[in-house]
Amino acid sequence: MKKQDNEYIKRLHPLRIKEHWANAIAFLLLTVTGLSQRFHDYELSQWIIMNLGGIDAARLIHRYTGILFTLLTFQHILVASFGVLFFKWQPSMVIHKKDFTDVIDNLKYYLGMSEHPARCDRFDYKQKFEYWGVVVGGLLMIFTGFMLWFPAQVTRILPGEFIPAAKALHTNEALLAFLVIIVWHVYNAIFSPDVFPLDTVIFTGKISKARMIHEHPLEYERLFGVTHGDSLIENSESSPAGVGETEQDP
Amino acid sequence: MYQSPSELEGIMIVRYFILSILLFAFLFPRICSATVSALSEDDQMCMNCHNEEQFIFFESGEKLSVRVKLEDVLSSVHKVVGCVNCHGFTSAEHPKRNFKTRKQYSSFSAKMCTKCHVSHKTQIHKKLMSHAPAGTVCTDCHGSHSVRFAREMSAGNRYCLGCHSRELVMKFKNGEKQDIQIDEKILNQSVHKNLSCTDCHFGFSAEDHPVRAFKSKRDYSIAMSDSCRRCHFDKYTKTLDSIHFNLMTQGNLSVPVCTDCHGAHSILSGRKEKLSNAKKCGQCHAEIYRVYANSVHGGALISEHNEDAPICSDCHRAHDIVDPKTLGFRSIIPNMCGNCHANKELMKKYGLSTAVVDTYLQDFHGVTLKFYKQQGNLKPIAVCIDCHGIHDITKARGDGEDLIKANLLRRCQKCHPDATPNFPDSWISHYEPNFKKAPMVYAINLLYKIFIPFMIFGLLLQILLHIWRYAVNK
Repeated sequence: MKKQDNEYIKRLHPLRIKEHWANAIAFLLLTVTGLSQRFHDYELSQWIIMNLGGIDAARLIHRYTGILFTLLTFQHILVASFGVLFFKWQPSMVIHKKDFTDVIDNLKYYLGMSEHPARCDRFDYKQKFEYWGVVVGGLLMIFTGFMLWFPAQVTRILPGEFIPAAKALHTNEALLAFLVIIVWHVYNAIFSPDVFPLDTVIFTGKISKARMIHEHPLEYERLFGVTHGDSLIENSESSPAGVGETEQDP
Repeated sequence: MYQSPSELEGIMIVRYFILSILLFAFLFPRICSATVSALSEDDQMCMNCHNEEQFIFFESGEKLSVRVKLEDVLSSVHKVVGCVNCHGFTSAEHPKRNFKTRKQYSSFSAKMCTKCHVSHKTQIHKKLMSHAPAGTVCTDCHGSHSVRFAREMSAGNRYCLGCHSRELVMKFKNGEKQDIQIDEKILNQSVHKNLSCTDCHFGFSAEDHPVRAFKSKRDYSIAMSDSCRRCHFDKYTKTLDSIHFNLMTQGNLSVPVCTDCHGAHSILSGRKEKLSNAKKCGQCHAEIYRVYANSVHGGALISEHNEDAPICSDCHRAHDIVDPKTLGFRSIIPNMCGNCHANKELMKKYGLSTAVVDTYLQDFHGVTLKFYKQQGNLKPIAVCIDCHGIHDITKARGDGEDLIKANLLRRCQKCHPDATPNFPDSWISHYEPNFKKAPMVYAINLLYKIFIPFMIFGLLLQILLHIWRYAVNK
């Protein structure tokens, strides 16, 4: 077991890492400039907007960052589609029935009703939830954002009420996305006992073998087969407390 | 009534003598006790007879009481002069004289005054005497036996009114005239009724009445309005910021000064009469007043005497009236309208919603305006008046609704040139989104109101369970 601790398995392509950080920067800028507009009565919001150079500047930054975010989202969708269609990439983010049962299994495990946590593949349901949240929520934000940017053009085709409706969607969805990121994503990437003080995968692109066996056992089995995985069988069949130990001992 | 210079000199000596006696009397007030004994022996002799009611008769048939009231003499500044000095004879030599009329008698008696007093030849007296009706004499204003210090007479406004209640006209260099006869009744109705004339007409007193020459009536009004600032300095400093004052410094003398709105001798409280206040602005801004009178606000004020309705000064302010065409003024319009339209109690009376202000302030334009104000770089952005009108504000319901809608599209197109008739609907007309108005917005908001707490609570629960499981397993 000790040997495996230092073994790392490549998990992410460097481009995906760059993509993540580009997305993070866009998201940060968008939330800072956007939420301070939505909550304009708060002093912090006013401080932010005034220091960005005023409301027009804040809106300009928001809109151009919106373009960056749009480009990132569409390139991702295109790249992923091409990869899956022409380069035989595994569509590992596709949601399966198993993801739903995994949620239930994991909850059972948390509540002590089951001995084992759910055994997940390359991406577990938490990651899929965030991924699709970003993709679907992002598309919604892009769509409504452009409606708000060009209200006169939109109302050529659609009734006027679509503009305040788009605003309601845009601002509410923004708040939801912001809360999910600071609660769920930050917990899973920083504060979760499994990764604390920091999940380094998004920096190095590598995951430790032990963590992979713990968090993505199905992927490990698929990649290395059961023959490689005598320790895997041992691990997955051993008590979860045992897994905890390996995590504790980096 | 002319004296040669040597005569005048003699008069002056007598005058100073008498004045020094007066000073003496002032220093020893015990002399002034209200008994005959306070008078000189000679005067006591006179009073022996003149204490009682008796008359002299004139050829014209008029009669005049020659009774002298002791208290008049004792309170008079001439108390120490002695009867003989004015009347020219003593009880021992009491000539019998014949006068045709009472008037003749009084002008004869008044000549005595000029033995000591020369002020009828100087200053305002001279000017007045040249205009005065023939036969006007000193005693007509100053009294005879009750002559007092001028400053004592001026304690009230009666002293000034002594002349100014008569028909008097002030002339200006350009030929204009100003009636300066003052009606005491009007004066007493004024809020300044407890002030004395000289409080405003400073530089004037019982002793001093400078003769000034103004170019025109307008020059005089402008100069006089300076008096107001001696007490109302706060208002005066405000006017320094006003467009009226600014125009005046550029040489426009027809802009209003204090007295043009407040009146001069008839000053009333500025707050009391809303309609007359509005009308005052209308004196110059006639066309605007006409439009205002037909608006929902002006109509309520004029035809219903509704004092809740705003008048000119409620929006433009009374003293620090700024140029309403500036962006600065435009930027405070929502606050001005909000003064009433966000007042729940007031709006309840008329069944109007107070949400109108907040829905604007929370929407795109309101937020933008707020930051523009904070940034100090103002740009034109739609405010209340752009849809509702300025002086011609109409009801937002009924007939007015279509008008506002039409205004709305035209106003939208000013900044959004490609706006179509659909576009104004993107503003949901001051309504908080509800199921009837803007159901889509209402539904989306409702959905998220449920979904966001549900989602975040669920995620937090998972996090707690995860931590708990980790702790238990450890």
